[in-house]
Amino acid sequence: MMLVAVGWSFRNTPLALRERLAFDEASVGQALVELNARYGCEAVILSTCNRVEFYLARAADPVSLDAGLIGEFLAEWHRLPAAELLPLLYQHSREGAVGHLFRVASSLDSLIVGEAQIAGQVKRAYEFAQRCGSVGPVLHTLFQYAARVAGRVRSETGICHGRVSVSSAAVDYVRQVFDHFHDKTVLVIGAGKMGELTLRHLRQLRPRRILVTNRSPEKAVAVAGGCGGTAVAWEQLDDAIARADIILSTTGAPEPVVSLERYQKARAGRGGGPVVILDIAVPRDFDPRIHDGDRTCLFNIDDLKRTRAQTLKDRLKHLAPAEAIVAEEQRKFLKDWSRRRNAPVIARLTEELEAKRRAVLQQLMAKLNGKLTDGDRALIEGAFRLLQNQFLHGPIAALAEEAHEGGSHTLLEALRRLFRLED
Amino acid sequence: MATERITVFCFAASYACALVGELLQLCWPRPVQRLLATGFAVAGLLAHTLFLLARPPALSSQFWSMLFLAWILAVFYLYGSLHHRRVAWGVFVLPVVLGLTVLAGTLDRTGSGAEGPVSHDPVPIRVEAFWVTAHIGLLLLAAVGVCVGFVASVMYLVQAGRLKAKALPRQGVRLLSLERLEAMNRRAVNLAFPLLTAGVLIGGALLLQRPEQLREWGDPKVWGAVVLWAVFAILLYLRYGVQARGRRLALLTIMAFALLVFTLASPHPVVQGGGP
Repeated sequence: MMLVAVGWSFRNTPLALRERLAFDEASVGQALVELNARYGCEAVILSTCNRVEFYLARAADPVSLDAGLIGEFLAEWHRLPAAELLPLLYQHSREGAVGHLFRVASSLDSLIVGEAQIAGQVKRAYEFAQRCGSVGPVLHTLFQYAARVAGRVRSETGICHGRVSVSSAAVDYVRQVFDHFHDKTVLVIGAGKMGELTLRHLRQLRPRRILVTNRSPEKAVAVAGGCGGTAVAWEQLDDAIARADIILSTTGAPEPVVSLERYQKARAGRGGGPVVILDIAVPRDFDPRIHDGDRTCLFNIDDLKRTRAQTLKDRLKHLAPAEAIVAEEQRKFLKDWSRRRNAPVIARLTEELEAKRRAVLQQLMAKLNGKLTDGDRALIEGAFRLLQNQFLHGPIAALAEEAHEGGSHTLLEALRRLFRLED
Repeated sequence: MATERITVFCFAASYACALVGELLQLCWPRPVQRLLATGFAVAGLLAHTLFLLARPPALSSQFWSMLFLAWILAVFYLYGSLHHRRVAWGVFVLPVVLGLTVLAGTLDRTGSGAEGPVSHDPVPIRVEAFWVTAHIGLLLLAAVGVCVGFVASVMYLVQAGRLKAKALPRQGVRLLSLERLEAMNRRAVNLAFPLLTAGVLIGGALLLQRPEQLREWGDPKVWGAVVLWAVFAILLYLRYGVQARGRRLALLTIMAFALLVFTLASPHPVVQGGGP
C-alpha cells in the first residue's frame, strides 16, 4: 500500500500564502480528477483556512509518491513558483500519514485544539472526493477510521469542553447571574465587530427585548434591524441603562462613556434584579468601580479572554489521552489493512496447495487402486491434509506477525513470487 | 426489632460520609464520588426515617422536632442533588442536616431529648392538645422555610463573592445563578412568614390563657420566636417595601436561621417535655 499525506498548514505557512493555496469546491473536483489521471492514485483534498492537504494512496503499489511532485502540481495549479512552496511542504508516509489524518480529524493538530469544525471539514472533503470518484479502498477505509477516531476523542476525553471564543465566554458569565432570559432586556451600546459576535450569542438566550444605541443613529438602526431590536437615541442612554438587565458595550470611544456617578444616577430609580455589563470595548466604556459582584457585575475583555485561556489550558490536559486513542486506532487501522491485504494471498496459496494435494492424492489412489482398505485410504488422505496444514502454518503465521507489527508487505510479495501466485 | 437498634449516630455518620464525598467531589470531581455521596445520604435518610417511625411523634420535644427538621432537609438535599447534578448542592445543605442531627443528639445526651426537660414550674393547666400541635407544627414548617432560605442565602453570598472576584465560570464550586438563589430565598421567606405568624399568635394565645404563667413571657424561646418573627417582617419590608435585594437580604436570612436554631434548642415554656 502506498499512502502519503502532503500539505501546508498554519504551523509553517503564512496566511497570505495559505489563502492563495486554498481550493474552492469547483477547483477541488478538477484537481482530484487531474491527480487521478496524472498519478493513477486515490485522492482526497482537505482545504480549510488553516491547511491544504493532499491524501494520496494506491492499494497495490508499495512505492511512495514523491512529495515534490505534489508540490509542483499545486504550484502549477495555482500558478505559483514551486520554489516558494516546496520548502514549506510537509509529508507523512504510511503509518505517519494515518496518524496525521487521525490527529487532524480529532482536532489535535488544529490552531485551537479541540475545535469542533475540523471533523466536519474532513468528512466533507472525503464525501466530496467520493462523489468525484477519486476514493478507492485505501482512502475509504482510512477516512471511515478517521471519523471514528474523531468521535472517540470527542466523547472519551474532555478536549472539546469549554468556550474558546471571547463572545461565547460572555454567555457563561451572564448565566452565573441570570437563570432565565424571556423577561430580560439587552442593551447594545456601539456597533463593534466583536459586539456583533457577542450579540449573536446573547440572542440565542432569547431575551424579551434588545435595545441598540449608537452615536450615529443610522448605525443604531442598522444594528437593531439586524438583530430584531429597537434603536434608541444616544441622548436616551441613561434611560436605556436603567431599563437594561444585560448591557453589551462595544464603542470605539477614547474615553469611558459611563462613569460611576452617571451609572449610579441612571440606576437609582431601578428596583429590579441585578445587571450584567459586558464591556468589550478597548479602551473600556464603563468605570470598573461599578462592579460589585452583587447588584452589578461588570466583565471586560480581559476577563473574557481569561476564560478562553483557561479553556485552552484545560484542553491541553486531555491531549495525552487523545494521542493514546490516535495511536491505538492507528495500530488497528494498519493491522486491519494488512489483514485485508493478506487475505486474498492466503486464500490463493491455500487453494493452490489444496489443488496440488488433490492431484497428487488422486494419482496415488489410482496406482494403489484395489490394494487399500477404506481405513488405509482415510489414513493417507488425513496425512496429506496434515502435511498441507503444517506447510501453510508457517507462512500464514509469519504474515499475521508482519501485519501485527505493521510491516511493509515484503513477506507478502515474497510469497507471491515464491509460489507464483500472480500467475 | 432491628429499627430499635438504629441510633442518631447511625444516620449522622452516614450524612457525615455523604458530606465528605461532596467535599472531595468539589476538589477532585469524579462521578463515582457523587454517586457514593448520594448513596450515603440515601442510607442515612433511610435510617433517619426508620428512627422517626419507630418512635411516637413528639412535636413538643426539641430532640424530635430537630430530627424531623433535619429529615425534611435531607429530603431537600436528595431532591436538589438529583435536579442540580452539576451544582455543589450537598456542600451547602448537608452541613445543615448534619448540624441539626448532631445538635439533636447532644440535647438528647444532656437529658433534654425525647423525654424533655422538666419545667421548673410544671404547668397545672391541661393544654388544649390541638392548639399546641398546631402551634408547634406551624413553627416547624416555618423552620423548614427558614432553613431553605438560609441555604439559598449562603449559596448566594458564595456566588456573589465569586462574581466579585471574577472567578472563571467553569472553575471551582458550581452554583445556581444569583437570580435563581434570590428567587429560592424569596419563596422560602414568603412561605415561612405566614406560618411563623400563625404559630407565634397561637403560642401567644396559649400563654394568655394562663395568667399565672405570665412570667414565661420572659423565656428565651418566646423571645427567640418573637425576634425571629420581627426579622422576617423586616426581611419582607426590605424586599417589598424598599425593593432591597442581594447581600443585605441574604445576611438577614442567615441571622434569622441563627435565631431559629437558638429558639429550637431552648426548652418550651408551656409544654412539658420541651419543643420548638
